[in-house]
This record gives sequence, C-alpha cells and structure tokens, in this order.
Amino acid sequence: MRPMSNAAMNAPGSAEANSSLGNAGLRIPGQPDMWAFVMFEALIFSSYFIVYMIRRAMAGDHFLPAQEHLSQGFGVANTLILLLSSWFMAGSVRSAREGKYDIALRQVLLTAACGLLFVGLKLLEWSDKIGEGLTLSTNEFFSFYYFLTAIHVLHVLFGFVVLAVAARELRSPPRRSQEIVETCATYWHMIDFLWVIIFALLYVMR
Amino acid sequence: MSASIAAAVTPRPSGLPGRIAWHWRHDPKAELWIIWYAMVFFYILFGIVFVLLTHVIPPPQPYWDPPRVVQWFNDHHYGLLSGFGIIFLVTGLVAACNALIGYSIWRMSVSPAFAYSYIAIYSLSATPGLLLTAIALTVGAMRPERNPDLIYWLYDMAIMCFDGTMGVFLIGTLVWMIAILIDKNNVFPKWFGYLNICNLITEFVVAPAWVFKSGVFSWNGTIAFWIDTVVFAIFTVAFITLLKRVIVRDDFGTGPLPDGDARTAIHPEA
Amino acid sequence: MQTAGDKRLSIVWIVLSGVTLVSWWIGFDHHTGPLRLNAPITFGVLSLAALKSRIIIQEFMEARRAPRLLRRITDAWLLLLLLSLLGIYSIGMGFHL
Repeated sequence: MRPMSNAAMNAPGSAEANSSLGNAGLRIPGQPDMWAFVMFEALIFSSYFIVYMIRRAMAGDHFLPAQEHLSQGFGVANTLILLLSSWFMAGSVRSAREGKYDIALRQVLLTAACGLLFVGLKLLEWSDKIGEGLTLSTNEFFSFYYFLTAIHVLHVLFGFVVLAVAARELRSPPRRSQEIVETCATYWHMIDFLWVIIFALLYVMR
Repeated sequence: MSASIAAAVTPRPSGLPGRIAWHWRHDPKAELWIIWYAMVFFYILFGIVFVLLTHVIPPPQPYWDPPRVVQWFNDHHYGLLSGFGIIFLVTGLVAACNALIGYSIWRMSVSPAFAYSYIAIYSLSATPGLLLTAIALTVGAMRPERNPDLIYWLYDMAIMCFDGTMGVFLIGTLVWMIAILIDKNNVFPKWFGYLNICNLITEFVVAPAWVFKSGVFSWNGTIAFWIDTVVFAIFTVAFITLLKRVIVRDDFGTGPLPDGDARTAIHPEA
Repeated sequence: MQTAGDKRLSIVWIVLSGVTLVSWWIGFDHHTGPLRLNAPITFGVLSLAALKSRIIIQEFMEARRAPRLLRRITDAWLLLLLLSLLGIYSIGMGFHL
C-alpha cells in the first residue's frame, strides 16, 4: 500500500518539478553550494552597507568632507582592474568548456595578476591615506572606509586560494573538472560585484 | 525518530523512558548521541548563563567610567556569581563539542592530523574565550569594595578576552573548513565548508572592538557584535544540526557516508 | 559559436567599464566647492552600481542560463538592497533639508 501511494504521489509531483524549473539546458553554473555561500555573503555585506547608510544618513552631510579625502582615481582604477579580472575569469570558464585548457589556464593566471594589482593598489592607497594622517579612528567615514575595504580585501586574498584550485584543475588532464572551475569563477565574480557596490557607496555617492 | 529500521532487529518499546532504555542497550550510536546531547546541553546552558544570568551578552557599554562599571557589578552581583558558578562546573563540556567535531573530521577521508589540530586549537581557545572572562568577572563581583579603577580594569579585560581573542578560533575554523572541502567521504555538505568562510570573517570583524569605545565597531556595536553574533548563531545551529545528520548517517566504516540513515544501508532488506 | 560567446563577454566587459567611467564622471569634477548632499547623483550612481552587479551576475556568473529561481533570488536581493539604501538615504535627506 505504501509503495503505491508513494508512486501515486511522486509521479505528478516530479513532472511538475521538472516543468517549474522551466527547461531544457538551464542549469546552475558550478556547485549550488557555492551559490548558497554567495547569497549568504551578499546578505552579510548588505547588512554592512545598510548600517553604513543609516550612519551616513544620521550624520547629515558630515561624511562628505571626509569623503573628499578619498582619491577617486584609486577607486576607478581598482574597479576597472576587477572588471578586467572577471572578464578573464569568465573567459577561462568558456575556454575550459571548449577544451582549450591552455588558454583557460592562462586566463586564470591573468585573473590572479589583476587580483594582485588590485591588492597592491589597495595597499598603496591605504598607506597614502595613513601618511595623510587618516586612520581607522580619524572619523566615522574612514572607519567604514577601512572596514569595508579590508573585509573585501580579505575575500580577495581568499580568492587567490580559489584561483589556485582552478589552476590546479586546469593543469592536469586527469582532473579538469568543469564544475570546480565554474565554482571558483562564481566565487571570484562575487568579489567583483561586491566591490562595485562598495565603490559606489564610498567613492561616488553624495 | 530515526530508529524505526533498527527496531526490526530488537523490538523497541514505546514511551520515552522505554525508548531511552532501548537506545542505551541496543543503539550502537548511543555513545555518539550522549556526546551530541552534552554539546547541545552545553550551548543551551552557555546561552542561559551569558544572556540571562550574567548579562554579558549583549555586552554592557564599553564607554562607561569606573563608578558606572562598579555599579554594573553591583547590579548583577548574584547573576554573575551564580552564572559563572555554573560555567566553572561545566566548562569541561566544551570537550564534548570539540570531540564530536574531531570525530567528524576523523571520519573524513582526510588525515587525522586535521582532527588533532582542530581539537588542540579549540581546547586552547576555551581558556581566553570563556574561562578568563568568567574568572575576571567573578573576581570583580566577589570584591565589591576594591578600588573602582581595578574593577574597571577587570571589566575591560574580561570582555576583551571574550570578544577580542578570536585569532585562535580563526585557525580552528580554517582547519575544519579545509578538511570539509577536501574530504571525499561526503561527511559535511560543501555549502557548510563555504559557510566556514563567513564564520572565519566574523573573527576579523570583531577586531575593531579593540579600537572603538562606542559606535558600530565597538564591542557591543551593530557590526562588531550584532551582525557577527547573528552569523555565528546561524553557523552554530547549522553545525549542530549537521553533526546530528552525521551521527544518523554514520555506518562506522571508512568509505563515503551514506546519504540517508546508515541502518538502511547496513540492512537494505529492512 | 565560440567566437560569438567570446564577443558577448567582451561587449559585457566594455559596457561595464563604460558604466564605471560614466558613474565616475557623474560623481566627479562638477564641484568647485566642497561636496554637498546630492540626491540625483546618489540615486544615479547607486542604481548604476546595482545594474553593474546585475550584469556581472547574469553574464559573467552565467545566471542567465541558470534556472529561473536563481535569477529571481539574485534580482530580488539587488532590488531590495538598492531600495533599502535609497530609502534610508531619502529619509536622511528629509531630516536634514
């Protein structure tokens, strides 16, 4: 009796599940686990952004004079560098999918190079600001500036490990798991879109 | 709840006492369950002591002056003493938690060295993160007539021990995360491995609490305390639930853990 | 086929970089005196940031080829975040005008 009822329950249910997914050829790139992580991280960062906005709104225009001390050039350069790195990484996933592993590996290395440049520029920018006497406790804007950029850079540093995993997959023929390469790419692009929002919040909004 | 299949071997009586007695005698996982319940008991007790009895979570204000701090000790005199009395009695239970997580790592396809490092690091971290806090605050509460400056110093030290010594936890989390991600026995889902990164980042997020005496980055601030605590609570609930799943799925073998209840895998005919 | 895909990625990258430069231009250099609260600029650059994030998620992360649920979740997150940020900003402006 139980198997029958199970079968009766399952048949329409699973058909419905298939149709609600919507379709042939649609699939989640990489491990869904990584997407779950990305969404959770997005929520944590959102909470930081919202706290920042609330403090900023409460302070009226007090954040603006501090914001004037930021170098827009650094912000824009870093955004362009990260966008470039994401472009390389997306290209790498595509190359790997087509079996062009040499190109894919080179693209991962270029991604890492952009990442290094990003971190280098960030260190330069920080030392620049510290040289001007602007530190974590100078004012609330700079507290948020150092906090948000530092937590983001931590994610970039972790991203190098992720890129190394992708490079390891691409290098040796017996591994070459497309799923792992895509999972790594998903992590790297998360760094990119989080930075895009941080850039707008710290450097350009008024 | 999950015992229905093993019941085919030895009949399982109904009723809670009967069921407990049955598990005690016949369930090969009884020992693991004792450790798991000890861990849950410890976390619940920890919550009750720190939130309700001693009022250390959420932490009191970091910007108070010595007289106000002395007043805080007086206000919570009995709560502090009874709460930390309990902590002194049961601190050893952190071993249950460490042991069970160590066991889960040992059950993976990775080297047992990961389990040993995890256990060593987390045993160490209980000293500043829990015991030093409890000792300092108890000393403060027991000697109300002492110089307010000294009481103030104890207060600062206690809460910084509790909130600020996250580095040890950080490496421990890292060890666990690496073990989960390279494990081929499927002991934990990969998303939990990634969730370890979030928990790891929270250890950095509390760092500004050393600098700020007020605002969102201070030791009871929105970011350094509240958001961190929410992330940590989600992480804790996730790992307690997943450890339960590990015990249910464990087949005491060395290969990959079965997806469902291990007993279905051992007795497929049942 | 493959070149079409590569071309698409390149176009996406050019668009993203272009939008970055535009938002830089919006926020930069038009002030001769000190910075002032400016709702149009803030709304503009935050919306552009959300748009850029959406393009990164859809194109680079290939969410456009993922099941609809994933696209809905990511879009909902971005929209909620943008609305909350702009909402908080507007309330702040209301207090200080």
